[in-house]
Amino acid sequence: MNAIESASLRLYWPAQRQRNRGAGGLLIVVAAFLALYAYLFPGLLSVGGVAKFAQSWLPLAMVSMAQAILMLAGGVSLAIGAMVSLGAVIAATTMAGPLGVAGGAALVMIAGLGVGAACGVIVVRLGLPAIVVTLAASFIVGGAALLILPRPGGTIPAWLSDLLAGDKPVAAWLVIAVVVFWKLYLATPLGLSLYAAGENPDAAYRAGVPVDAARILAYAVSGLLATCAGLFVAAKTGSGDPVIGEAFTLNSIAAAVLGGVGFLGGKGAMRGALAGSLLLSVMINVMYFLGFPPVAHYIAQGLIIIGAVALPEFSARRRAL
Amino acid sequence: MMKSSLSALSAACLGLFLGLLACVAMPSEAAAAAKCIKGDRKPPFTIGWADIYSVPTWMKETQGTIEKEVDELKKQGLVSKLVVTDAQGDANTQIQQIQSMIDSNVDAIILIAGSSTAPGRVIADACAKGIAVINFDSLVDTDEVTAKINTDSAQWGASAAKFLVDAIGGKGKILVLNGPAGISVSDDRRKGAEPVLKANPNVTILAETNTAYNVAPAQEAVTNLLFAHPDIDGILSLGGALSAGAVLAFDKQGRAQVPITGENARQFLELWKAKNLKAWATMQPNWLGAFATYAAVQALSGKDVPAFVKIPLPVIDNSNIDQYLAKAKDFPADGYIYSPYDQKLFDELLAQK
Repeated sequence: MNAIESASLRLYWPAQRQRNRGAGGLLIVVAAFLALYAYLFPGLLSVGGVAKFAQSWLPLAMVSMAQAILMLAGGVSLAIGAMVSLGAVIAATTMAGPLGVAGGAALVMIAGLGVGAACGVIVVRLGLPAIVVTLAASFIVGGAALLILPRPGGTIPAWLSDLLAGDKPVAAWLVIAVVVFWKLYLATPLGLSLYAAGENPDAAYRAGVPVDAARILAYAVSGLLATCAGLFVAAKTGSGDPVIGEAFTLNSIAAAVLGGVGFLGGKGAMRGALAGSLLLSVMINVMYFLGFPPVAHYIAQGLIIIGAVALPEFSARRRAL
Repeated sequence: MMKSSLSALSAACLGLFLGLLACVAMPSEAAAAAKCIKGDRKPPFTIGWADIYSVPTWMKETQGTIEKEVDELKKQGLVSKLVVTDAQGDANTQIQQIQSMIDSNVDAIILIAGSSTAPGRVIADACAKGIAVINFDSLVDTDEVTAKINTDSAQWGASAAKFLVDAIGGKGKILVLNGPAGISVSDDRRKGAEPVLKANPNVTILAETNTAYNVAPAQEAVTNLLFAHPDIDGILSLGGALSAGAVLAFDKQGRAQVPITGENARQFLELWKAKNLKAWATMQPNWLGAFATYAAVQALSGKDVPAFVKIPLPVIDNSNIDQYLAKAKDFPADGYIYSPYDQKLFDELLAQK
């Protein structure tokens, strides 16, 4: 091992520990909820059970990653939900037509990358606030989705729905595939620059990090993840709905914040956002099986979210003392 | 010439034959149990109520009728438990909650769909497992349900448009107030109004709005339009509390009220009476929820239930508005004054073909 490698290793683990701070406590909470869910519903521990649960979780996992990338890069997106709707309606209007599944999927990806990159260019190059740009984008993209499909409809070929959202745990494999994709992205020069560009763009720029390019790419990848989540939602439901994504905007922010991803850029890790989305998703099922009435759902949801954020915070303070 | 008439004759014969075949097949189908029912579920039943959004008053009142019906059926030993979920307006969450209902093996699922397409596959799964699925109010497109229960949204829109066109004498400038964009009920009512509006070219649409079915957003939208349009002859309001919002907007701006359509929202009916409006309303009865519960238990008990139960739309006008307002105090101030219901009415509705 040469000196540079050992030096980078010496830096690697403390950096990882720093990123894990906040996620550690959350992972315990998530594990506890998963265990409780499996106890209340033993059918979870079957191939079919894992398949169905992964299908519920995957779209939220993808949009949480889409949000977390931007937050790591020092941005945020209020257009995630509209992008999911756009992906869903493009898939539902093209895949059963002459373009076929491959053509439709390509269009979904192009739309995600294109709209994401456009937002990125406006935010980064024109220096406009991300929250304003993406709010405007949410209206434009949401309107475009309604133009493509004015009311719920369209079709996804049945075989694709059965493949992605049938009794086989394909969705669970897709979660793993998306994580591998994220690791590969982080290994690219621009992916590597993401944290630096988000945490301290000025210092990163002086150190020769391609800050603008890294941030624009983050917006493009975020858009790609959001429209692909839309494609999956369309496949899961067998159809398109122009407003299906609305709830994903807030839920993606909630999942990322739960996972310890900060609003100021460069703080947190993707595994935290994934764990946050898993908690939000499993919580719905656990509360159902506990037999809570809907009003209690609202209260319990709030308490769990506060608890999941507060616990790691408290334990971190105690460690610091 | 000869040949074509011969083929027409043979086609007619074939048609007749197929028709007879259908007639023969029909009764045996009707005698069988309702769709999705396998006959392996025994009372008392667990009912799952997959609510899309529990907060709006209309939904709370609907849930009230469901709970009342469940209490009634519990007394008869037919129902053991009511499980309620609230998707908080998100169709994805609703799908997840319906999946949990399937996982916990409820006997029946009644639902107001958050999307006409999205829950299609999970509902078909429930149906395949022998769970009675009764869908009311906001309907799904799939036919893999035991029964769908609703009023006719297209007729709703057409009747409202007819009243308004007549009320303004067949010509004038109107506003159209719609529910949210991309929602089937809202879209269907608007589509139903379209042919009537098309047939009356002297009626001009100044502007259309899309808002949630609540007073405040409708009032705000109409207020904005009032500044832009000095002459408005009528309001085609397609439901919920939109009409009350419009009347309040006219009132606050000191504009003379114009003919308006609407629904049985208490606030609207009270404003109508107080301001002596020229108005028309109909009703999406809250007891659709109670009726869906009743129909689910009937289907599970082996009775046949029609695949679609069309609920007649009543007309509320100056001749009978007092009957509705007489009961107003029994309903929330921002609620809907629905007509009375009982088991006899439900049995009649289920018996209609």
